[in-house]
Parts: sequence; C-alpha cells; structure tokens
Amino acid sequence: MEKESDQNFGQWARKYPELGTGPVPIEPCVSPEHFELERERIFKRVWLNVGRDEEIANPGDYYVKDMAVWGTSIIVMRGRDGKVRAFHNMCSHRGNKLAWDTKGNCRAITCKFHGWSYDTAGRLTGVPDEKNFFEFKRADHGLTPVATDVWEGFIFVHLDPNPKETLREYLGEVADQLEGYPFGQLSTRFTYLADERVNWKVLLDAQQEGYHLPVLHRRTFSKTIVSEESATNAYRSVAMRLYKYHRMLATSGVGDQASVLTPIETLSRRFGATTMAAMGGGTYTGNAKTVLTGSFDFWVIFPNFVLALMEGTYFTYNLWPQSVAHTLWEVRTYYPPAKNAGERFSQEYAKCTLRDPLLEDGGVHEKVQSMLASGARSHFTFQDEETLLRHGHHVVAEFVK
Amino acid sequence: MSEQLLPSQFEDLEHFAAAWSLPTERARSRKRLSSPMSEIQAFYDAILPQAPVIIDYLNGFSLDEMPVRERCLFNMLLSLAEVANAVELFKEPGVIDGFDPERFTPMHE
Repeated sequence: MEKESDQNFGQWARKYPELGTGPVPIEPCVSPEHFELERERIFKRVWLNVGRDEEIANPGDYYVKDMAVWGTSIIVMRGRDGKVRAFHNMCSHRGNKLAWDTKGNCRAITCKFHGWSYDTAGRLTGVPDEKNFFEFKRADHGLTPVATDVWEGFIFVHLDPNPKETLREYLGEVADQLEGYPFGQLSTRFTYLADERVNWKVLLDAQQEGYHLPVLHRRTFSKTIVSEESATNAYRSVAMRLYKYHRMLATSGVGDQASVLTPIETLSRRFGATTMAAMGGGTYTGNAKTVLTGSFDFWVIFPNFVLALMEGTYFTYNLWPQSVAHTLWEVRTYYPPAKNAGERFSQEYAKCTLRDPLLEDGGVHEKVQSMLASGARSHFTFQDEETLLRHGHHVVAEFVK
Repeated sequence: MSEQLLPSQFEDLEHFAAAWSLPTERARSRKRLSSPMSEIQAFYDAILPQAPVIIDYLNGFSLDEMPVRERCLFNMLLSLAEVANAVELFKEPGVIDGFDPERFTPMHE
C-alpha cells in the first residue's frame, strides 16, 4: 500500500505522539462494569451541559431533566433574582418527586404529597401543619442543590455542590477560544431525540472523525466536504486540537461546487445558512461572517457535549448514557430567528439536511454496538484522521483508572 | 365542490394541498415516507417552479399571524423542504440504510 507522498502523512499522530498509533481496546464500550466506573468517576465528577439559558428566559421558568447517569432527576430554574440554579427534583420531606411535568413557570413549587412548597431559589417557604414537627427549622430543609453555572448561555451542572474545578477552569482553552461566539443571536432552536441501543462512546466516535464522510455520507454531507476532483476521495481535517479533556477538529469544505447546488439548496441559500452551505463554506445571503478555523468546527466538550459550529447556524449533541448499550442522543440545531416565510423555509430545509445525514449515522450505531458485543474482536484500529477517537478513549481511561 | 384551501392565484396547486399541507415536521416526514416516489416527484415538480413566487408572496405576511389560506400554502412549502432530499439526493422516499425515523423524534413542530 502506497503511503501518502507528501509530508502530511501521519500529521496528527506526529502532533500528538503521546497517544501512540497502536490498537485501542473495545472492552470499555461493551462492559457493564466499565460503564459503572464511568458513571462514578466521570459523569458524577465533571460539569455536564443541560441546555441553554434561553430555555428559561424569565424568572420562575424551569425545566426538568432526567439525569439517568446520575440516577436522579433535576429541576433547572431561573430564580426571581435572575440566577440560574439546579436542584434534585425531590421534596426534602419524604422524597416525593416535586415537578412531574417537563417545563413550566412558577412562583413557588409545591409537593403534591403533603404540600411543602419552595421558592424559586430552592428555599422552603411553606409547610402545612408545621407546628406538629419537632424542633423544626425551615432553613434546614431547602431543596438539595447541584452546582450550576452558565458559560456563553450554556447551562452546566455538577453533581457535587462544591466542585473542585469551576466551570471556567474545566472548559479551559475551549472557553478561551469560543468566548464571544454569537450563540445568543442564533436563538431559534429545534430539538431531536433519538433513543439508541448503543454505548455513548460508540455513538460519539461515529461522529468525531471525517474518515467516514466519503463512504457513509456519499449521498449527503460528503458532497459539500470532500471535493469530487480529489484524486483519493479522502477526507482531511484542516486542524485538530487536543486539550486535557476536550478536543476539536476543523474541516474546510468545497464551497459552491456545482454538485452541491441542487435546486432547493440553491433556493434556500437565498434566505439563510443551509446545512450544506454552512458546512462546506459556501455562500448565502444575509448574515455577517464570524471567525472559524475551518468552514465546520467540531468541538467535543468532555464527556458528552458537542458544539458543531458553522457560519450562520450551529448544532449540538448531548449524549445521555442510560446503560452500557443504551444512549439518548439529543440533537439541537440553532438558527437566527426567522423574520419571514423564506427564512423559515430555508431553516426547514437546513434541518432536514442535517436530520437525514444523521439518520445515515444512526443506521450504523446500533449495528456496530451489536457486533462489538459479540466479543469477536478485542481492539479497534484507528487511522490518523481518527485521532480524536484515540484521545477520547485515552481521557476516559485516565478518569477510570 | 370541496372547500378552497389555498390563495386563489395558486389554484393550480390546490389538488396537492389536502395531502401535503401539514403542520408539523413529523407529519410531513411521515407523508414523505409513506408516499410512492411518483407522488413525491409530482408534488416536487409542480411546486418547485413556483416556489420563488410563493416565497415572495408569503414574505408579505407575518409568520405569527398568517391567514388560513396563506398558512396552508406555507405548510405546503415546508413539505417541499421535507421532500427535497428524497428527490435530489436519495432518489427514493427514505434515507437509504438509515436509522428508523420513528425513533429519531422531533421535539418541535
């Protein structure tokens, strides 16, 4: 097999030699015992993104998040004082689940069992027949908090109410690089939820490399990212950056190459950033340019949050492990608020052209998982464009050991 | 004579409206996936040449306060966005070798 002739061969392995180039074990993707270690040593010890502050724009707004990986449910709420807090969704009295809906607005939240009520800062404010309790002090019975902080509008929670690292410290260089990105202008949000029988790392690994693009996405994304004139039809990242926990890759697409410009793609680009235009670096009408490394920058914020940034739109993944081979894949795609029918049409096409390729991805996830579980092979083999996977497995191993 | 669904100047598209004017992504996606390619192609071929005119016309209305017939036309336009990939990329209704779309759930309208 002829090696790439230019000096770029092995460029990412040479940039990060500490990761090596050897095989990587499959066992952490199929072992229930390993999953329990990840739950205890990763997910219960790091900051996790649970949404955007636009979701709870007004004082008293709240939503409920099922945190299966923590074995709890939480309420994320904006207080009357404007501050975002999160609490275990549990009455301090006998443990009843407090909020039974998924979102709402309240002045106070009242338990359906005996009527204890709490204000939007989690303080106990009402107890029916309070005088019949013994040496009772309300201040001892507020809601149980989880640490909560907001970065660039993204709400993060930490199971430890007093984490060793602040959110800003945890995000580190990712925050340095992305602070000031115009997330707030892209406030129209669409959400998909996929329920997949797959390990969370297998799902993430299927996303954090471009090697699969010319094959799995040959009918879709590949058209805008891998040039048809390319002799090898191979994908190459234009940048990869690995941090202590987090990582990113950047892609530079084909721009306005004719094979991408189908009739509806062309029409939609008149009214906004389509997925294909944004990802491939093509032109469209209407939005100011922002600075990205490539046309498509894919940031993985350890362990389970992805920020995929393009001109004029972005999307996120939150991977929520339910068990070793069961993950909820939450996909959110963001646009500027549509001012008219044309912009809304363009967004509809943009999200269909994100969703359909993600269905191509999803077609693979469960099939991979089912065969990994067979035990027929013990290791993965990664090439240079799969260096983010190598880093991801390395970071998991460091936490779990 | 059935009730007129679309604004009068788009009466040539009227016979598509009952099937393709659908208010949610889930409904539009199910319609795409349950229709033969010939029906999808006929809808696409009929509406595509008029799409720029439809958009210019609908841009004159507020998204939040669209009259009933304009709303119907708009929902049909969103079905064009839904079927675009079937016609232009896959040449069949669904995503080839894709994940079960019923398990990839839009939480929005």
